[in-house]
Amino acid sequence: MASTLQAVSLPTTTGREAGDRRPALLLLPALVVLAVFFLFPLISMVVSAFTDPAPGLGNFTWFFGEPQNLRVLGRTFTTGLWVTVVALVVSYPYAYAMTIAGPRARAVLTLLVLLPFWTSLMVRTFAWVILLQDTGVVNGALQAIGLGPFNLIRTQTGVVIGMVQLLMPFMVLPLYAVMSGIDRRLLTAAGSLGAHPVKAFAKVYVPLSLPGVSAGCLTVFISALGFYVTPALLGSPTDALISQQIFTQVNGLLKWGRGGAMGVVLLGLTLAMIALLALTLRRTGKKVTG
Amino acid sequence: MLKHPKRLAGMAGLAASLLLSAACGAGAGAPADIDLGSGPAKSGTIKKDALSGLNMTFVSYGGAYQEGQQKAAVDPFAQESGAKILQDGPTDYAKIKAQVDSSNVTWDVIDSDSIWAEAQCGKLLQPLDYSIIDKSKVPEGLATQCSVPAMQYGMVLVYNKNKFGANPPTGWKDFFDTAKFPGKRGISGNPGDSAPGPFEGALIADGVAPDKLYPLDVDRATKKLQSIRPNLVFWKTGAESQQLLESGEVDMAMMWSGRAYAAVKNGAPYEVTFDQWMPIMDSLAVPKNAKNPKASMALINYYLGAQQQAKLTELTSYSPINTDAKPNLDAKAQSFLTTRPDAAQKALKIDSKWWAEHQTEMIEKWSAWLGG
Repeated sequence: MASTLQAVSLPTTTGREAGDRRPALLLLPALVVLAVFFLFPLISMVVSAFTDPAPGLGNFTWFFGEPQNLRVLGRTFTTGLWVTVVALVVSYPYAYAMTIAGPRARAVLTLLVLLPFWTSLMVRTFAWVILLQDTGVVNGALQAIGLGPFNLIRTQTGVVIGMVQLLMPFMVLPLYAVMSGIDRRLLTAAGSLGAHPVKAFAKVYVPLSLPGVSAGCLTVFISALGFYVTPALLGSPTDALISQQIFTQVNGLLKWGRGGAMGVVLLGLTLAMIALLALTLRRTGKKVTG
Repeated sequence: MLKHPKRLAGMAGLAASLLLSAACGAGAGAPADIDLGSGPAKSGTIKKDALSGLNMTFVSYGGAYQEGQQKAAVDPFAQESGAKILQDGPTDYAKIKAQVDSSNVTWDVIDSDSIWAEAQCGKLLQPLDYSIIDKSKVPEGLATQCSVPAMQYGMVLVYNKNKFGANPPTGWKDFFDTAKFPGKRGISGNPGDSAPGPFEGALIADGVAPDKLYPLDVDRATKKLQSIRPNLVFWKTGAESQQLLESGEVDMAMMWSGRAYAAVKNGAPYEVTFDQWMPIMDSLAVPKNAKNPKASMALINYYLGAQQQAKLTELTSYSPINTDAKPNLDAKAQSFLTTRPDAAQKALKIDSKWWAEHQTEMIEKWSAWLGG
């Protein structure tokens, strides 16, 4: 295992012919699309954060001067963290089951993960509204066995439940990709050397699956930070995340500079967290392999 | 290995130029020379084929409402005037700002919140030409410099008649009295839209006289709202408020009359009271630098006709603006009309001018309280 970040970072180019730049042309369409639809709006957002309505740091002093903004920012990160943790707890055994299942069961399990990709995020979120509301299916089932009713919709719990389901494929797939490459005979070997199965799993299998864990967690966490529709529909305004706050500034108040500044803060913090995570993973990765 | 690098590069170049032309296309042309005929304007009419060959875009909030507008006014106008009119939506204020800022305005007539329209007069919206628009049938004071009402509805109090039918709530004091009327209350909770409703209701419940509401004492209002916060269920869209009634999740709600009617029509066991209800309107307006302002004004003038307004009400259940409009409705729909004289009498007087001047500040305070 060269690096625990294998699953996250791009593979190093190997087969490139020296001097032949033509394959680079393959990237051109993607680059054009990115430049027009991603880079240009991103740059204009950053510019507006510093210039609209007046040049300077006004939008940032406003952002950090309002306790409300910091609360929402904190809530965005804790919600993202909760979603990541719950998604990992649910997905890890699921991905493990996929590796030990027979071909037919594995096909079914894979299908179940991919199925949500074929319906729109909006539709799935509305489905959760129907399921989670006070008079909804989940509460009906709970009451049938003498529990509840629980207040699920318009709470942070509801938001986390919805987001976990929507983001689970992004956790399961990288986990499965890494787990399916782990040689299970290592567990047998650990057993033959006297390790209890639980200990063998924890000491041998889990460390080997860490690249999948880090890739999945990173993808889920970062996606969760930018969620808009799901918290808006499943949460109350009291559970608003920063994307909703940005929407209010941009759409309700037409203060694009402030919206831009909030976007820049979110982007900056996210990049900082990725860097931090990559750094710690590299360290622990060295410890594991070295 | 790549076999046809040149062809690929060509395709990428083509894609790039397509994207660029899409981004820069639809440039603003000079306004067409339009002859709308002579004589004073009369609402609900348009000179035959006056806008032949013109392309226009009408923007509203979609759903049954925009469909009603299309059938009652926009399509007939297109047919008579010869213009080709596209429907677009929803009315996204940020998109209007983007169009006006970039001087590439593709929306000709927009349906928006009336307070927003009043606040944006001269900024994102242009003054209306009342030599083209006949406002004689619009109630006094409702047509403003940059906007005319598109229809009227109201923020009303509805209650579950199975629960409170014997002793119904009569006004916002009861809405805030969770001891006498226990249960959950639906209330508007869109952080980007504060007007009017929760603040006024809270202040009335706290003992402020209806004629002393403005300027709104927001701190007092949010304190009152805070006192029943555990009982509040926030709806962010009209559809959600309707869903709250149909699923029976709330026992009372402060909500839009049109949505309350839709829920009741679908069998939700709720009753509406018009005690201290608050009139709300959508407005029609024309963005600054719209391509053919005269054509936009002509469409608005046609929209305000008595026949068009009556049909709009029959299709959408919103109340007509034209005082001559005689919609043909059943008793239930009739009882939800806000323009009936007995309902009109009970309305709180909303100071839309004050709201327009303080909208930004109000939204900021509202979203701060909501975000808790």
